[in-house]
Amino acid sequence: MAGPITWILLVLLVGAIITFLTRTLQQARIVALISSGIALLISILMYLGYESGAGMQFRESVMWIPSLGIGYNVGVDGLGLPMVILATLISFLCVIYAWGEEHRANQFFALVLLMDMALVGVFASLDFFLFYIFWELTLIPMFFLIGVWGGPRKDYSAIKFLIYTHVASLAMLLAIFAMYYFNGKMTGTYTFDMIYLLDAYSRGMVPISPYWINLIIGGMLFGFLVKMPAVPFHTWLPDAHVEAPTVGSILLAAVLLKMGGYGLFRVIIPLMANPDASTRFVLVIAVFGVVSILFSTFVALAQKDLKKLVAYSSIGHMGYVSLGVAGAVAFGTSDIPRILANTGAMYQMFSHGIITAVLFGSVGVIQHATGTRIIEDLGGLTKHMPKLAFIMLAGFLASLGLPGMSGFVAEFSILTGSFPQLPHFVLLAMFGIVFVAAYHLWAIQRALFGPYNEYLGDIHDIAIYELIPLAILVALIIVLGTPNPVCNHLYHGVMQPTATHILSILPEGGLL
Amino acid sequence: MVPLEWFLILSAILFSIGAYGIMIERNGLKVLMCLEILLNSANINLAAFSRENLMGQEFALFSIAIAAAEVAVGLALLIMLFRYMDTIDLEKFDLLRW
Amino acid sequence: MGWIDYAYWIALLPLIGFVLELFIGKYTWKQGGIFANLTILGSTIISIGTLIEVLGGARIDVSVPWFYQGIVVGYMIDPLAIVMLCMVSFVSLMIHIYALGYMEEDPDKSLYFAETSLFTCGMLGLVLSNNLLQLFIFWELVGLCSYLLIGFWWYKPEAAAAGKKAFLTTRVGDVLFLLGIILLYYNVSHLPEPLTFQYIFSLEVLEAIPPTHLTAIALLFLGGAVGKSSQFPLHVWIPDAMEGPTTVSALIHAATMVTAGIYLVARTYPIFIASPGALVIVAVLGGFTALFAATLGLVVNDIKRVLAYSTISQLGYMLCMLGVGSIIGAFAVGYSLFHLISHAFFKALLFLCSGVVLHGLADTRDLREMGGLLSRMPITAIAMLIGALSLSGFPLTAGFFSKDRIIETAYEYGVATGDYLPWIFILLAALLTAIYTFRLWFMAFTGEPRSYLAEHAHEGSKIMTAPLIVLAAFALGFGILQSRFYEFVGANFDTHLIGELAHLGGYHLHHGGEVPLIIMILPAICAIGGIAIAAGIWYNNRVDLSRYISKSNPIYRLLWNKYYLDYIFKDLIAERLFGFVALLAEAFDRCIIDGIVNGISRAIIAIGSGLKRIQTGVVETYATAVVIGVVILILLIGGVL
Repeated sequence: MAGPITWILLVLLVGAIITFLTRTLQQARIVALISSGIALLISILMYLGYESGAGMQFRESVMWIPSLGIGYNVGVDGLGLPMVILATLISFLCVIYAWGEEHRANQFFALVLLMDMALVGVFASLDFFLFYIFWELTLIPMFFLIGVWGGPRKDYSAIKFLIYTHVASLAMLLAIFAMYYFNGKMTGTYTFDMIYLLDAYSRGMVPISPYWINLIIGGMLFGFLVKMPAVPFHTWLPDAHVEAPTVGSILLAAVLLKMGGYGLFRVIIPLMANPDASTRFVLVIAVFGVVSILFSTFVALAQKDLKKLVAYSSIGHMGYVSLGVAGAVAFGTSDIPRILANTGAMYQMFSHGIITAVLFGSVGVIQHATGTRIIEDLGGLTKHMPKLAFIMLAGFLASLGLPGMSGFVAEFSILTGSFPQLPHFVLLAMFGIVFVAAYHLWAIQRALFGPYNEYLGDIHDIAIYELIPLAILVALIIVLGTPNPVCNHLYHGVMQPTATHILSILPEGGLL
Repeated sequence: MVPLEWFLILSAILFSIGAYGIMIERNGLKVLMCLEILLNSANINLAAFSRENLMGQEFALFSIAIAAAEVAVGLALLIMLFRYMDTIDLEKFDLLRW
Repeated sequence: MGWIDYAYWIALLPLIGFVLELFIGKYTWKQGGIFANLTILGSTIISIGTLIEVLGGARIDVSVPWFYQGIVVGYMIDPLAIVMLCMVSFVSLMIHIYALGYMEEDPDKSLYFAETSLFTCGMLGLVLSNNLLQLFIFWELVGLCSYLLIGFWWYKPEAAAAGKKAFLTTRVGDVLFLLGIILLYYNVSHLPEPLTFQYIFSLEVLEAIPPTHLTAIALLFLGGAVGKSSQFPLHVWIPDAMEGPTTVSALIHAATMVTAGIYLVARTYPIFIASPGALVIVAVLGGFTALFAATLGLVVNDIKRVLAYSTISQLGYMLCMLGVGSIIGAFAVGYSLFHLISHAFFKALLFLCSGVVLHGLADTRDLREMGGLLSRMPITAIAMLIGALSLSGFPLTAGFFSKDRIIETAYEYGVATGDYLPWIFILLAALLTAIYTFRLWFMAFTGEPRSYLAEHAHEGSKIMTAPLIVLAAFALGFGILQSRFYEFVGANFDTHLIGELAHLGGYHLHHGGEVPLIIMILPAICAIGGIAIAAGIWYNNRVDLSRYISKSNPIYRLLWNKYYLDYIFKDLIAERLFGFVALLAEAFDRCIIDGIVNGISRAIIAIGSGLKRIQTGVVETYATAVVIGVVILILLIGGVL
């Protein structure tokens, strides 16, 4: 009997195939809605059945290619489960959001479902080979979403996105092969089992030279940092976002980027626990984090395109994840702030996923209604689009880290938790907060407020099928940012035990 | 008994002539002839080594048969080329470059 | 079970009001306002009920855990909190009633009441909070409401810009405050008991924190207070914030939200008094701001901006009081809070009166276009006169008692420490306050009408004048509660504990210093003198002001340009400097970083197009390559190479 994760993957795969075969928009979107809805339902049931602090759950393990030690190993813990939910939730809402998509609807919805499946696969795989397959599989739907439904420079952006992230994945693949090979050579067990390999390397049971272990970490880190993306490996992101259709942007920013962050927790932290690993990686990650936060903020200040501005805000928010991870592994006298930083970084991934979906969703509505995203061409949109203004304002305020919304809980945890270990980095990051607020408010003021730009003509407000998913997300943002059982359970019951567990393999007090 | 080396030297000389011809000849017919020389140098080798058993000679016979077929195909190609291009100068046939 | 056990409803009721107004307010009586008024009335009733119990000695502190160990949410009632709660809910109720009349014509009335309800919820929640993190959350929530309400008339470009400016300027302070919280966490997170952010400032906790950190925490909190309470140099946002509806100015930018900074300092007073040097800075900064803002109030012609500067100035008094309180300990909080509350009454009154004036004059805010309104709107004129007297500190009004005590303490502070600077600052400010306040009153209400609008002004409706009368009564009579109030709020902190903490911070507490009579009556002299000067200039027109009011007068130019601080902050720092940095970063991103990425791809393409030349298409070349390859292979296998 297959477990829930397999069911999710199967439902989405079958759904994608059936959607592809449908003939009309109506059939396509209904099939897509049903299958992504079932996937979401299963993942929510998994969340309800999740046992707090009990390690990997819903595990399934079947040998696939025994001669190479490749298996179909899946399972989730407090790190993977929220990401699985994020993927299924965002995909489900994307299907609703794209209800009016008429251009090649069957292919469009099929790609969204395929994307959903690949993302769930990435977050649930416990075998490096499987992980890599899903990891690369995410590129294909996104490539076509950008390349077929994209804007004027879609070819350039799609190719840039594909090649850039693919090159990074190759570095990761080489690191995976190196781990596989050295482990097999030294211990005689050739296996791609993620848990086994990471355990072996984190305890230093594979006697290889520091040169190789650092090379492995470096390769992995490169793969993840490009995906996150961290400055200076970020330039594919704004290009991809600018050209991508709204649903593509939402999936890209809300879920795809999280693969990089997920890798930091799942792979990088255990590898850094290796006694031979260089402790400088802590500083490297922290520098990437802070540079991403500050640099993206200043670049965003100069943006004229609303969507590009939002894209840069994503880079900054993912910088917080890096900073939190660095703060969690860095040396500190007390474990309490380190766990806080680690949990906060996980929370940030989930929270940023839902916030950025609102941002891209509302920008997409504006583009749809007015035909432009250039901030200076907008103005006073509240007059004709009051509902959109409400949603967008909520999203922007959440994005600038307003307390009472999920982003604040995450960023507060990261900053507070990292401060004892990395005070200077935190000070630098906090320097950016004012400017983050500045570009968000500037964009809001110019786009939504002020006199209405009459050149835009008589525009219509947000459609109901666009409003529903965004409203759900806004509600979720508020629920996850205020004291209530849902927020407490996600933070305290699901993420924190896993964060503690991940840090427990590091030497006492952390690195450095 | 003629020593083995002599056959090998003969074969090597033929091979070199054939290779030289392929590399510098422009005329398609001559290149085809050089190819035959190359093939036959190999046949000599096969025959020369088959002192204990006859497998080498069998193989040489196979090779000759296939060479005949090959020549038929090669000549047919050259005739077609000549019909279309009015030449069998191989340097003129560079449509497949970059 | 008494009122106090349900005290959290004080903040929850307006939240319910917010939700109801937002979603169904439009379809109810008068298209909005009913839920906001009812829920805030409920809050006021609970507050007063709780106040009675707290007077009887009741206290409460309840917490439930939130997302991490040591991080809780909860509520706490002590004298400091309850007086704030009563003031906020009562003033908010008055202003909400008034707004029923003031906002009557507005199409988005229900949205307005939703936002002010949310604001009231935030402000009450801020006061109810029992820990700093929760306080910070509500702190930002009221900041958000302030942003939304300043920009309530979003189609006015100035309003949208002012909202943004307010949010960003206070955000600077908020970041400092947040950093202070983080630094505090760093110092207390390893302590055994999970009281990370709660206001448990015991001697053991504060002793465990290094003095430099303690001072840093205190100054960072002060930074937050400076942003929120609009002190120098982050005061620039309040005058612009007057673009919002007048009721908003009264509620948020005069009576309640801007006092949150003062409340923060009062609430964390144990930290301040235990940290060496912090209170000295508080005293000087507060005093300086009081004087600084008063000078600016002299020249502006916008009726609401005069009041805005007076708010900054009065907040400076409160902060200064807390600073000079380093010589009297726990009672400083009582003195400061008394001024805070009396200020809330008379400033709300003044703003509401100016709202009536605006209503009567079709939103003209320029004092030069008013005049002679006394006969046209008598109730408002008298109410505003009461407010102005109280603000100037005219003897026996509420403002007199509260301000007098501050100036006296500042003098004692001077005697005790030799630092007379705060005293001089606030004494001069008292004189200027009286001058600019009565400049406003005389210019608006006396003389001949100076415009068509002023000639045809009319009194406000009953629903607007009724709250004025109530507030005027408080502005006049609140002073009689003086000594009772000091005892009540002054006892908020344990005197003994404060004494020991002051010792830790290196402050010496004095008791019962003798103040000479002349010093005691100086504030009253300043007030009366200031009123007399104002009357001389603007009522009797004894001085020809046009000689001084000209762009060639350097002092006038300096004041008119607000000491060029707006120019420095907005044009130079925000737009030029950071705009330049942003452009630089953008260019770096586009040209260098993306240039390298595209450069690599271009280099690879170039290498490829170079290498493809090998593919000549000539069979001989390929054959040659094959032969050479075979030869090399043979040599390699043979071991020659």
